Amino acid sequence: MVNAIFDTLRALKTTLVTVFRKPQTVEFPKVVRPRAERYRTSFALPDDENGELACIACLACERICPSQVIKMKSGGKRESPVTGKKRAYVDEFVLDLSACIQCELCIQVCNSDAITMVREPETPAFAREDLVLDLEKLRANARNKTASWGRGTKLQEAQEPPKAEKKAAAAKPPEAKPPEAKPPEAKPLEAKPLEAKPHQAKPPQAKPLEAKQAEAKSPEKEPASAPAKETVP
Amino acid sequence: MNALLHGAVYGAVIVTVLLTITALGLWFERKFAGRMQSRLGPTMVGPIGLLQPVADVLKLLQKEDIVPRDADRPLFDLAPLLSAMLALAVAAVVPFSPKAIASDLDVGVLWVLAIGGLTVIPTFMAGWASNNKFALLGGMRAIAQSVSYGVPLVLAALVPVILTGSLSVSGIALWQTHHHWIVVWPVVPGLPAFVLFFLAMLAESNRIPFDIPEAESELVAGVTTEYTGMKFTLFYMAEYVHTLVGSAVAAALFFGGWDGPFHPGLVWMVAKTLLLFVSVYWVRWSLLRLRSDQLLALCWKWLTPIGIALVLFAAAWVEFVPGEL
Repeated sequence: MVNAIFDTLRALKTTLVTVFRKPQTVEFPKVVRPRAERYRTSFALPDDENGELACIACLACERICPSQVIKMKSGGKRESPVTGKKRAYVDEFVLDLSACIQCELCIQVCNSDAITMVREPETPAFAREDLVLDLEKLRANARNKTASWGRGTKLQEAQEPPKAEKKAAAAKPPEAKPPEAKPPEAKPLEAKPLEAKPHQAKPPQAKPLEAKQAEAKSPEKEPASAPAKETVP
Repeated sequence: MNALLHGAVYGAVIVTVLLTITALGLWFERKFAGRMQSRLGPTMVGPIGLLQPVADVLKLLQKEDIVPRDADRPLFDLAPLLSAMLALAVAAVVPFSPKAIASDLDVGVLWVLAIGGLTVIPTFMAGWASNNKFALLGGMRAIAQSVSYGVPLVLAALVPVILTGSLSVSGIALWQTHHHWIVVWPVVPGLPAFVLFFLAMLAESNRIPFDIPEAESELVAGVTTEYTGMKFTLFYMAEYVHTLVGSAVAAALFFGGWDGPFHPGLVWMVAKTLLLFVSVYWVRWSLLRLRSDQLLALCWKWLTPIGIALVLFAAAWVEFVPGEL
């Protein structure tokens, strides 16, 4: 009972102190807190180096999108007015941000760096339709907002099987070979930091921990022991 | 005839003022609760969100009035009205200044306790008439709680009655202007009696930590589960008015009512009432809900014995300490 009274008084004190503190929240649309460096929510369709829309309507992003929020219509191939070469164009591109789960897969599969995420979020909307980004809105985003660092080719390069490691694996005895079924992001290990450095960024999967472990252990043992563990189950 | 007119005019004024304060209290509670939780509270409607209660009421007015098919219609309709009426009826004997009192009953304390105790009836009416298991459970919990907490409430209110020798709320306040506030002296039955009264009042008006009749996490919304629109508003309003009037009664019984260093006394009475009203919110947004058994154990094992001891002590004080009365 005495404890209960004491705890009650402590709870009352806590709330009373909080009343006179500055609130942690801000009035969001009016005041925007500083975002983290790699914060990204909305999308943009940037131009390529010739000043044309980079998207060639290859449907890669539409196919991979887990929540199927991307719908596009190809405009077919025609000669580019700028370069004179034949290339494909996209006629319609709709991305429903209200159902987007922000997985960034569309960015990762894009071979032509034609879709990016942007650091600024969409303004909160009063209607669902306002969160459906069409081609015009996506192009406007590319013009007005800051693109995040991730691009399709960059991310793909970062996740490619490291060439140096393949050679090393070939030189070792056969049981040290990494198993075939392994997904690329679980792949070891010591070549990773080297691979990531040129982009000043690590690939987005759970690599940092593994890389650190690899550094902590001795580099000779690591490639042999890690795949062995994986093959047991 | 004159008394009737007096009562009608004062009643109208007091009801208007109470409802206004209730509306502002609604805004204040949300703002206050927000700050307690490190939020901003309402900011969008009007300057610093001041028009939020207006917006709330307008929204509630537009809601469809839904009645469950198997509801007991007369009871279902009557319960919110009765609830609001009883909550406001208690205000009749609250003295806001020596003159500003709707009806100076010489058994004012009895009136407060009786009408306050009756508020459980519309609550259970609502629970029964809704024909909904959550509402019924809420209603039954409300009865268990109100009947239990009526006892410490009466015992706590008896302390100032015994010390001042008056059953009239304004009489008790008047005694305190001539002598001293009950919470100040004699401290021992005074201050604990106030705490007891405050706790019992929280329980009577179904406030956290005693809000098991409408425990959202267990009973949807308790007795108000099936109520929509203005009927729900009436219940909601009744709860606030009940708390507000309870604070006013506590201010009159224990804090000297309109007594203060300068006039008019009305300012003091309102200030004390609002301070207690705010502390109800303070408690509400700081504490957790008690379990049913904890609630009843607290009442019967702690508050009631303490209340009896305080009443006996107050009686002994009046009997044996000379020069008080």
